[in-house]
Amino acid sequence: MGYIKNSIHRIRNTRGIGQVITVTFGLVIMLIAFSFINPVFFSQRNVNNLLRQIAPILLIGIGQSYVLITGNIDLSIGSVIGMSAMVSATLMSHNVAPIVAMLVALSGALFIGFLNGFLVVKGKLPPFIATLGTMTIARGIAQIVNGNYNTNSIGEHAQGFREFFYYGKTFGIYNTVVIAIVVWFIFNFVLRRTRIGRYIYAIGSNVEASRLSGINVLSTTVVVYVVSALCASLVGFIQVGSAGMGAMDAGNGYEMFAVAASVIGGVSTLGGQGLLVGTVIGAAIWAVLENGLQFAGAPIAIRNIVIGIIVIVSVLLDVVLRRRTTKASIKN
Amino acid sequence: MKLNIKKLLALLIVSLLVLVGCGSNGGDTPSGENGDEKYLIYLITMDQMDQHWVNLSKGAEAAANELGNVEFKWVAPDVKDDAKQIEAINNAISAGADAILLAANGPDAVTSALQEAQAEGIKILYVDSPANFPAEQTLATDNKAAGKTAGEELIAALTAKGVTEGDIGIISTNPSTDSTNNRIAGFLEAFEGTGYTVLEPQYRDGDPVRSQDAAQNFLTSGVVGLFGANEGSTVGVGNAIAAESSEVIAVGFDYSDNIKELLLDGTLLASMVQNPEVMGSEGIKSAVKILKGETLDVEVFDTGVTVTTKENAQ
Repeated sequence: MGYIKNSIHRIRNTRGIGQVITVTFGLVIMLIAFSFINPVFFSQRNVNNLLRQIAPILLIGIGQSYVLITGNIDLSIGSVIGMSAMVSATLMSHNVAPIVAMLVALSGALFIGFLNGFLVVKGKLPPFIATLGTMTIARGIAQIVNGNYNTNSIGEHAQGFREFFYYGKTFGIYNTVVIAIVVWFIFNFVLRRTRIGRYIYAIGSNVEASRLSGINVLSTTVVVYVVSALCASLVGFIQVGSAGMGAMDAGNGYEMFAVAASVIGGVSTLGGQGLLVGTVIGAAIWAVLENGLQFAGAPIAIRNIVIGIIVIVSVLLDVVLRRRTTKASIKN
Repeated sequence: MKLNIKKLLALLIVSLLVLVGCGSNGGDTPSGENGDEKYLIYLITMDQMDQHWVNLSKGAEAAANELGNVEFKWVAPDVKDDAKQIEAINNAISAGADAILLAANGPDAVTSALQEAQAEGIKILYVDSPANFPAEQTLATDNKAAGKTAGEELIAALTAKGVTEGDIGIISTNPSTDSTNNRIAGFLEAFEGTGYTVLEPQYRDGDPVRSQDAAQNFLTSGVVGLFGANEGSTVGVGNAIAAESSEVIAVGFDYSDNIKELLLDGTLLASMVQNPEVMGSEGIKSAVKILKGETLDVEVFDTGVTVTTKENAQ
């Protein structure tokens, strides 16, 4: 009994859990509403597809959440997706082995992540500017790598690659979803249970205090940006797997999807607060809306308006609730 | 500090003067000494990379060789860029062009450059994409008519299969692109008065992956036919159908290596392919007609689309 009470207490005292609970309710209501409007929504087939549509948003959401928790932002995510997609697809369409193509694309992406962290801490550039720069550079690389063309088909020899990232299933679940789940568990563990996870929160709360208490701000910041680039790169591979080609515009605007998923899920853009559980809910809300509104036959404008409202309301709710609890605790 | 700003200003003014000087020098280059015999016609496209422009130029070159009295030149910026296209127009003016075939990068950016060209007596014709400036003729794909053709192809195939009712899904780029909107308008027109229901179009920015998601959702909801309104949308539609080994009939728009594969393996029924060669060749012919003082029959020349299927894909 005491154990349960204790763990409830612990969950309630986790910073940022309030918004996660609120938006989870929102998600459940949405799911119920959509299944009433069109029963196909909850069919086995659509649930499978829906999970696969959530996965990429969740992946970049994890990366963006890491960066946001340190109080920074990563605008280069969408372009890194495009760069990874184009670099790997170009190589594969020229008969390079998929594993080699992936490694080349991945090292490029990780370098962008490293550069982001380095510029922000050592160069003292505002993260908005540093990652705006790398965003443009990465998009340029995506365009030039195949001479300003989308790539041709990545070919029969890359069939395994396509299965691994998109079409194949493991235990009846699409591999894309499995990848997202594995990545989530790893990075959730790192964030909640390791020293570097604590450092990430500390830097976001107060970067000067962290520095003075001996935390290596440079290496921690580089790590979060590299994590973000890694996640973006995986999404690039998923996109190549799904389309069987590389598109220069791949991932365009995804950095903002990632911000939305994180913020809806309770990650604070001011840093120091956020849970990857929330990012799951945020990503799910995003994908459920896009999927569900299509089944409901609503025009795209409705989705955009609804998403905008949800972003504002979910954060506003959190701000109001937090102000109340702060007042209450002061009274006590 | 103040001194520095003054110096800077002075430098700026001097360099501006130099630039202006160069500009007016360029304008004085002698032009068109052989006005009556050989016509100098410039083709200015958005860039030089895209296969579309290469084909357009091939068509124009063939017509120029055929007519014999045309000196044909193709120039374009290395990448799509308004400023660079303006430069290309200015260069054509100073080279003494008799006519310009232009694929305008944007509707408004080039208008003042065109004004200058017109003041020099240069005839302007648009190929592919017009600007907001009056010209002799526009030779382009009538997107609405092409969309209607796509719809008719889909209806014919569905009827042949014995399907006379059901839902039809559309995947497009975004709600603010004229060309795809016109294609959808034409497509809808073809479906007027039939037993089919065309669902709300889904916009996925021409991103093949997100288009594939949307097409997948349509397949799940049980559509009988799909339409992709541009290249990326069409690839997405085809990939979704291939992944589910679905029997749904789909038509698309544009042509690429990936679309070709989807046509050849029977995933897509047909794709509406524009005819850039026709734009080029008819453009040159129209230009010569005007230069000879003849009048043109139409202000807008529909270069049409080729319905490309498994049979004629190459």
